[in-house]
Amino acid sequence: MRTGATVRTAVTGVGWAVAGPDFDPVTALAVRGMRHKDRASRFAVRAARRALEDAGLLDAPELDGAAVVVSSNFGNLDPVCDTVTTLAAGGSTDIGPMRVPQLSSAVSAAWVALDHGIRGPNLTLCNGASGGLDAVAAARNLIAAGRATAALVIGVEPDSPAVARLHRETAGSRWIDGAVGLVIEPVRQAVRRGARIRAEIAGYGRAHDERSAVRAAGATAVPRLGAEANARFGRCSGALGVVQCALAVERLDDPDVPEGEAVLAVAGAGTGESDGTSVAALVLRLSRGRHT
Amino acid sequence: MSWEISGMSAICALGDTVAGIHGALCAGRSGPAPLSAFDRSKYRAGAAYEVPDRVRAGVDEPLRATRWLVRAVREALADAGLPEPEPGLPVLVGTTHREMRTAELWWRHDGGLSPTDLHFTSALRAAFGLSDVQTIASACAASLYGLGMATDLIALGEADTVVVAGTDAITESSFGGFDRIQFPPPDTIRAFDRSRRGMIMGEGAVAVVLRRPGTHPGPVHGLVRGVSMNCDASHPTAPDAAGIVRAIEEAHDRASVVPEDIGLVIVHGSGTPQSDLAEAVALRDVFKGAAPGPLVTAIKGGMGHISGGAGLLNLVVALEAIRSRTVPPISDLTEPIEETRELRIVTGRPATEPLGTAQVHAVGMGGINAVAIVEGAPR
Repeated sequence: MRTGATVRTAVTGVGWAVAGPDFDPVTALAVRGMRHKDRASRFAVRAARRALEDAGLLDAPELDGAAVVVSSNFGNLDPVCDTVTTLAAGGSTDIGPMRVPQLSSAVSAAWVALDHGIRGPNLTLCNGASGGLDAVAAARNLIAAGRATAALVIGVEPDSPAVARLHRETAGSRWIDGAVGLVIEPVRQAVRRGARIRAEIAGYGRAHDERSAVRAAGATAVPRLGAEANARFGRCSGALGVVQCALAVERLDDPDVPEGEAVLAVAGAGTGESDGTSVAALVLRLSRGRHT
Repeated sequence: MSWEISGMSAICALGDTVAGIHGALCAGRSGPAPLSAFDRSKYRAGAAYEVPDRVRAGVDEPLRATRWLVRAVREALADAGLPEPEPGLPVLVGTTHREMRTAELWWRHDGGLSPTDLHFTSALRAAFGLSDVQTIASACAASLYGLGMATDLIALGEADTVVVAGTDAITESSFGGFDRIQFPPPDTIRAFDRSRRGMIMGEGAVAVVLRRPGTHPGPVHGLVRGVSMNCDASHPTAPDAAGIVRAIEEAHDRASVVPEDIGLVIVHGSGTPQSDLAEAVALRDVFKGAAPGPLVTAIKGGMGHISGGAGLLNLVVALEAIRSRTVPPISDLTEPIEETRELRIVTGRPATEPLGTAQVHAVGMGGINAVAIVEGAPR
């Protein structure tokens, strides 16, 4: 064993790229360098940059050995569907060459890595509703296994004709169009570089059902985040767990929150946004001062 | 530490057992067949390596990648003596296209599509009661990424047994996309050949059962010694030899081996001009001091590029090559590129020699690389 699961990891940065007062997709997604990118990658690149800025890691040497972990279920659905429409109307010679990379589910993670020279593991998870929390746990494991100096976790789901059709056919009325990013890094490194530790990752579980997942995360007594993510954005799909973590960090940012306070995020359970296949649970704990 | 492979299975155009696929490669069987379910008038290329299992010739079906995955996982579990796995068993599935072929049929032909079709938890839960499933879409390095993550789960004490798999069915969009950028279209896959023209898509699934040593007394097919995964972060599509070198060196480091220990390399070998060149340069750099150096081969000429499962298929074929002491040759390689001159490329007919340790590559679009080091079975 290289490094134990006991390596402590924490969230040190959050970046939003969802339409709102400080983010206008119409202008933000049309900047230089975006022309050949699909909508999911444009959102992912913006959220990544904001999360790195927030963590104070933009252009930092730590990024060279960092990981990128993207969670998305529908990121490349529209490029794929649009390409078969192009084929039906004509033939393969009508496909734009810059379309080809966009057909890959991994394209957003690759663009983020390229944008910042992030040369560690480049992981994309398409796990359904649990994927965002699974991505945070995967980032923690990549760090614990000595594979990454830090990890940029992005949850992204673009709105597009194919995505909208799929949501409508499955009784959806509102869904997210954007990305959110988290910077995860070893607590020890964050302390060394004087970064603000927003929340420590304190437990994770995945199981058939909510009860088992929460038990596996060691969180039976931890207060659970409500349905804020879905209330604010509608269906979040692969971005759900990352949105939940970002909201949990916002809650823990409140200076009145006592040290040691924890928040439980649950994704994929029957009462929330669920696809009925599995449930993930993840605990974030406030640990402002006790880093030694 | 090392990890035991106690079960394995594979299905592709060339066969539906690991031994059968290895035997077919050694017999020189290869060659794509005419496209059976897509409208051939839409493409310049007319062939692919399809799994010939559609109920009605010429009529496509949804969920083929899922069907092969379930079969491969069932066979690997049975091979490992675990026909009824514990419900908490993690399954890591590497895939490039997921069920995007099912999505295409939905979009164009009013087939059905549920969001749960786009990952593999639903199918593996229905078939085996397993719900700790990751659908890993790290391009064509995905199944070796799954293998690396599985070794971490065991090393970190989160599991004793993990199933790692890969699956993909050819999509019309990607077949069309590659047809757009590869002209003239490749007639065969000729890894490392001067006249190579590119990659031809294949499809299929592969699965292995990975266990912590000491967990079970049964036979094992081999040991995983170490897996690396990284990203070039240098170009959106073209591979970079430097990134592949880093992946090889990290894999050696994790496996505690040196270049002289490697007896066999199965490269990604997709037959594209840039990817083959990058791998050849990387091997030349890494093995320049090793004498005589490893045998080097590639297998995609046999079954095409099966995408997400390609790295894991390289791995199971490597284990079978070690067991049988027989390394299949690179198909249709007649004029090797200059950069391979100092490598012991296997051409023409199988190479037969005792082998201990093998290195397998997966190089995915987006500069996503993974390298695994495996050794033959101690029992």
